[in-house]
Amino acid sequence: MSLLAQSIINGLITGSIYALVAAGYSLIYSTNNFMHFAHGISVVAAGYMVYWLFTVTGTPFYLTCILTIFFSAFFGLAMYRLIYLPLQKRGASNVILLIASIGILIFFQNVIQIIFGSGVKLVGYIEVVSGVTFAGITMTPLQIVILVVSFIIFILLYQFMQKTKLGRNMRAVSNNRELASIVGINHIRVSDYSFLIGSALAGVAGILVALEQNLSPFMGTNLMIKGFTGAVIGGINNVPGSIVGSFVLGMAENLGILVLPSGYKDAIAFSLLFLFLLFKPTGILGKKEGRFDK
Amino acid sequence: MILSCRDIYKRFGGIKAIDGCTFAVEQNKITAIIGPNGSGKTTMFNVISKLVKMDRGIIEFNGKDVTPLKDYEFARLGISRTFQDVKLFQNLTIKEHLQIAISASNERFFLNLLKGKASETMFINEVLDLVGLDKQIDTYATDLSYGQRKLLDLAIAIAKPHTLLMLDEPVAGVNPRLRDSIKEILRELNDRGESILLIEHDMNFVMDLVDHIFVMDAGRVIAEGVPEEIQKNPNVLEAYLGK
Amino acid sequence: MISAYLSAYHTHVLILIFIYIILVVSLNLALGYTGLLNLGHVAFFGIGAYTSALLALEGLTYLAAMIAAGLFASVFGYLLVIATDRLKGDYLAMATLGFSFVVYSLLLNLGEITRGAMGIPGIPKPSILGITFLTNDEYLVFVFLICLISVFIMYRIVNSPFGKLLEATRDNAVCLRVLGKNTLSLKYKAMMISAFFAGISGSLYAHYITFIDPTSFYISELILVLTIVIVGGLASIKGSIVATTVIIYLPELLRLLEMPSSVMGPARQAIYALILIAILMIRPRGLFGKVDLE
Repeated sequence: MSLLAQSIINGLITGSIYALVAAGYSLIYSTNNFMHFAHGISVVAAGYMVYWLFTVTGTPFYLTCILTIFFSAFFGLAMYRLIYLPLQKRGASNVILLIASIGILIFFQNVIQIIFGSGVKLVGYIEVVSGVTFAGITMTPLQIVILVVSFIIFILLYQFMQKTKLGRNMRAVSNNRELASIVGINHIRVSDYSFLIGSALAGVAGILVALEQNLSPFMGTNLMIKGFTGAVIGGINNVPGSIVGSFVLGMAENLGILVLPSGYKDAIAFSLLFLFLLFKPTGILGKKEGRFDK
Repeated sequence: MILSCRDIYKRFGGIKAIDGCTFAVEQNKITAIIGPNGSGKTTMFNVISKLVKMDRGIIEFNGKDVTPLKDYEFARLGISRTFQDVKLFQNLTIKEHLQIAISASNERFFLNLLKGKASETMFINEVLDLVGLDKQIDTYATDLSYGQRKLLDLAIAIAKPHTLLMLDEPVAGVNPRLRDSIKEILRELNDRGESILLIEHDMNFVMDLVDHIFVMDAGRVIAEGVPEEIQKNPNVLEAYLGK
Repeated sequence: MISAYLSAYHTHVLILIFIYIILVVSLNLALGYTGLLNLGHVAFFGIGAYTSALLALEGLTYLAAMIAAGLFASVFGYLLVIATDRLKGDYLAMATLGFSFVVYSLLLNLGEITRGAMGIPGIPKPSILGITFLTNDEYLVFVFLICLISVFIMYRIVNSPFGKLLEATRDNAVCLRVLGKNTLSLKYKAMMISAFFAGISGSLYAHYITFIDPTSFYISELILVLTIVIVGGLASIKGSIVATTVIIYLPELLRLLEMPSSVMGPARQAIYALILIAILMIRPRGLFGKVDLE
């Protein structure tokens, strides 16, 4: 029983990191309608930024966090302005944008490897302490921080999307780009903001990942697949949906390895991704779209 | 009866696109379906050629129930059709279009690798001669003008082995001279014994050419008859002008 | 001494070029000629490599192992098309990418068969009719012959009436069905041929390097193959051959810079990714491409 409860808690923690990745990704997808696969590298770049600022140069931790989030936000904006937007202006299809984004991911992954080396890096801000045990469930303070921070961010994000003018514009563009243009919404500007905010979320995810795991240049692909899978499960063009989907994925992974060998964690995610794309590409909560041949 | 459609129903979401449509096409005749925009003519064409799955109804072709067939299977039985928005293979030449249309079995690739070029050139030239594209035989589809694309679409439909030719607005958007030559082409085909079913908005073209007319409105046939009868039918006017 | 080193080194690069020509042309057959958006082509390469290596280690003669590699890969090609036929655009691209992730994680996790992350060492050099290709010079001749035969067959296919049907499927599948052609069957035949030759090249690769592990068949390998196909141009075999030669050779110039080997690998990957992004932005049809990527 406590093993099951522990797995559920672990699922929540993994899920909340996936959800941070997925929320930013699906915010960008829903406004721009193409797959920004390089979102994963924003997370990793943020993680390394934390390592460099805090561990190498000794910047105070909270300043490090703020700088990292800004860095990540503008890193995302730069990708949009320097690569995606010029491609869109050339009339590139979504598939081209997807391929370009995979290229960006691989490019920066290797640049990070050249700068920092392929070995894992430890940030070591919060020392690994023995966890708090409550009713047979063990959680480290850091894991509690991760859960709390991500829930606060999801609430803020939801408020932002529902209550602010920019949030409404984003939803408008995501529903109907042409109509949004007609009523005077500048969709490039809205896209700018979607990349800024989505990548800032990637920055937060990067900080939490840097605190919880060892950093490696190659983790971007894996994190992106997990975030993407979460988004697909929940509904890729629906931000709350993709958050829910990410928790479902976190749960599935952690409950799945109760019955399967632990090496199958990734296989569970990949298989879920593949199955959802095949049978329910709109996800659990996603809107219907003309993605099929008639 | 070469083609008979009985009680066809098709909904798109809440819209009844086809609402109990019934009609039959006779052998060796030119038959037209006319009707106002949105009356379900093109949907009916798509239902017949199986590109759109109908909700209910029966389609018979040469006395055989073809309702459960897939699009390409029915096409092999002898239906040939064109599209309102011309559908071509942009990166193939006119000749290649016709080669594809003619041969029935060239998707078996092992046979294909062994087999050399067939002597189908004569037939291709004949068809291209008929529609007047014989000089552009090696031109890529993407380099053709709108009128030429329309003619190529027609040529493909003619060249494909068939017993019924279905044309969706064959003269929409073409200039008057081309319209007349298309009319002549269709007449000649009919003289050779072709059965033709067409959709057309150009009333002069229809009244002058066809043997039999079905008028569709709101997804069903509201009138039928020879052109003279249709011209006098008050229901038809009402359908076009509104009540 | 130096000339001996250079020629041995060039032999190595040439062998890789011939292996990759088969792989790239086979992808072009699916992606360029048939318009099958397949971002999972490296999975076929991997399946071929593993099949051939494992069978040869079990004592099967090389020729049989190589053919089996092609056939087994093409079974997966068939399944992939049947499974993803309803999808299109970027969803199809992601599903095929997901397929390659699934294959990757299977290679990693089916440890009983594939030895997981440890990889398979000691793959025997091919031996046909009593002749074993032990040295690289001998292997070069062998690979060249297989490459010549494979490319010739694929060249014949795309120029046959069957090949024209594949191009027609890419240009307008609806129109082709109306002409009485079974486009689904055309698609899976094309994918099976494509996967077959990818499997063959995987076999050649495994028995040349003599060691394989799952990381050789993952996303960075995919970037390389995609880059080459797009640089060479869709639906152009000539383009694929030229681009393979240039792009495999190009990063070898890095050797002149005398970088440490830990930088060489990532630098090469980064260059491939950069070329991919650049070609998409500057000349999306590549060197000899006839069609656009939809």
